[in-house]
Amino acid sequence: MKENRASLGYDFIKGFIKENPTFALAVGMCPTLAVTTCLVNGFWMGVAVIFVLTFSNVLISLLRKLIPDEIRIPVFIIMIATPVVIVELVMKAYLPEMYSILGIFVPLIVVNCIVFHRAEAFAYRNPVLNSAMDALGSGMAFTLNLMLIGGIREFLGTGQIAIGNVVFPKAPLFEPAAVMLTPPGGFITLGVLMALLNIVIARVGKRKQA
Amino acid sequence: MEVLGIILAGVLVNNFVFMQYLGICPFLGVSKDFDMATGMSGAVIFVITVASTVTAALEQYVLKPLELEYLRTIVYILVIASFVQLVEIFMKKTLPGLYQALGIYLPLITTNCAVLGAAMLNVTKSYGVVLSTVSGFAGALGWSLAIIIFAGIRERWKLMDIPATLDGFPLALISTGLMSLAFLGFSGLFSNLVK
Amino acid sequence: MGDRLLVTPSPHVKSTKTVQGIMLDVVIALCPAAIAGTVLFGFRSALIILVSVASAVASEALYQKAVKRQVSINDFSAVITGLLLALTLPPHVPLWIPAIGAAFAIVLVKQVFGGLGNNFLNPALAARAFLLAAWPLHMTQDWVNPMTYDAATSATPLAGFNATGQTAFTLKQMLLGQRPGSIGETCILALLLGGLYLIVRDIIDYRIPLGYLGTLAIGTWIFGKPGAFFQGDPLGAIFLGGAFIGAFFMATDYVTSPVTPRGRLYMGIGCGLITLVIRLWGGYPEGVTYAILFMNLVTPLIDKYVVPRYYGSGHDKMARKGGR
Repeated sequence: MKENRASLGYDFIKGFIKENPTFALAVGMCPTLAVTTCLVNGFWMGVAVIFVLTFSNVLISLLRKLIPDEIRIPVFIIMIATPVVIVELVMKAYLPEMYSILGIFVPLIVVNCIVFHRAEAFAYRNPVLNSAMDALGSGMAFTLNLMLIGGIREFLGTGQIAIGNVVFPKAPLFEPAAVMLTPPGGFITLGVLMALLNIVIARVGKRKQA
Repeated sequence: MEVLGIILAGVLVNNFVFMQYLGICPFLGVSKDFDMATGMSGAVIFVITVASTVTAALEQYVLKPLELEYLRTIVYILVIASFVQLVEIFMKKTLPGLYQALGIYLPLITTNCAVLGAAMLNVTKSYGVVLSTVSGFAGALGWSLAIIIFAGIRERWKLMDIPATLDGFPLALISTGLMSLAFLGFSGLFSNLVK
Repeated sequence: MGDRLLVTPSPHVKSTKTVQGIMLDVVIALCPAAIAGTVLFGFRSALIILVSVASAVASEALYQKAVKRQVSINDFSAVITGLLLALTLPPHVPLWIPAIGAAFAIVLVKQVFGGLGNNFLNPALAARAFLLAAWPLHMTQDWVNPMTYDAATSATPLAGFNATGQTAFTLKQMLLGQRPGSIGETCILALLLGGLYLIVRDIIDYRIPLGYLGTLAIGTWIFGKPGAFFQGDPLGAIFLGGAFIGAFFMATDYVTSPVTPRGRLYMGIGCGLITLVIRLWGGYPEGVTYAILFMNLVTPLIDKYVVPRYYGSGHDKMARKGGR
């Protein structure tokens, strides 16, 4: 297959809506819930996933004609585990605090269904540049999702959103609901977001029909 | 007593699904059917327990002495993936009955983050081989408890008029949240025993 | 629509009871406790009850309007949810707490699953657990001393009771509800009156409250006194805390409790055991909410595995024993 330059833009864009990892494909649920107690955590987790995803997608796409079909799963695992180890070492060295907050969910990127899903569904069948765009699109959409969920939970759970030293608003406007930072809050936030999305999609679909 | 504490923690207090966010994807996906949920539970208990033993032994006798801890992720996932493959082949040949019951779940387990997660948790808690095995077993038991309870609830939904626009992931996630709300009651249980 | 409430295995017995009639009976049965709470803890309690019921009914109507379903507020089920939630709240909580709690109960615990009959948790209790996790300080400190209406400085008497196995409150005080506690949980006589009314009217099954309170009383008698066995105070265990209101009005909820008589007994015993374990060895002073919620979760499993004997199967067994 030759590079398909015309579809590069689409390969990037589709990750945000049609193949949105969280809201359309529902993959990578564990980190989506585990690290989204605040916006900043979500951002760094997202960056780690973007790196791993791009690395593995490009590598798999480059070697896609050399990988025998029967053993592709173990080969994928190695190609995904390599960038994960790189991320682990880099984070440990330069962002030790964030590394300890994200905890086991950094090494667990290796079994993140998003990475696997993109390798199997896209990179194994498409040229390098397209695979790179696919990875960047999916990864950035995933990061945005994590930041959205993290932002909502942080705002409702602490009354504020903190980015570095900047805190907004200066004092909480209401009594923060600590439950939003706990597992029940995480599940319910994501569930309600998906429910609202489904309702909107159903409404739009109906209007189109009418 | 430490063993008892680890088991209580794994099953109730620090339940994989409700408190640790591990194994969520199969929890949401496989819980639609009660028999599949119980089958998956059996496979998960077996694989997580043995994988915990093997990875803990590797950590203690190979990675640590050779100072190769930074390769942990890559080594663990390879061991788990090949172990699952091995079990599948072995079961097919020697225990066809069990293979028929659990076989279809085995390939799904490699990407169940609870397996690698359990192994990684054992490392952070610096358990030895024996305690890692207990801890893995307990965590898997807790995961099974969670999915069997949820499958029981979802089985009833088949007879009910559940709103179609919300069925699937939205309701599964809201339900999981409500269930973990109920499990919050176990936090702090036997705090002198459970860590 | 509402007929879905009565899900029972066959044989089905026809009855003249309607959902509306049953719900109205429950509302009537809760009135003594609500009145007692208002007398004991002041006018503010009535305000909390009012806000909670209003929020529950409004949430139900608004949600059903929004998703274009038939509005079913006249079946009184939302009124019960609001009333039950309010009765489990401390008397001094700010009014937005019952408002948010009741809306949570109606929308996220009940209506998103399709409404009455489809929820798997008791809405009022799930909302209480949510509020406890969200605003723990309000939910564990906003107590009021009975009759004097001043803010109580101490925790509820249950925390001390769990630690020492004894209480300074007399039996009369406990029965009349003259102790700090949630609005509707303290006056045992009022709760008993309502509970007996429901049993007499055949609305609830005595097995659940009996199994619950019996297990809790016996368990506390055995383990309740630190450092000694068989010296705990069984009456304190069921009178101080939320076990009474829970056993009669929450654990008996049709939708979220087992349908078979034996299953109901297991439900009661399970609630009693978990309450006991959380009180004596858990992280919270009171375990009623979580115990009932957990048993709600396993109710489908109880119904699945505790099935009534097939009609006539006892005869088979006798025939086999007869050695024919």
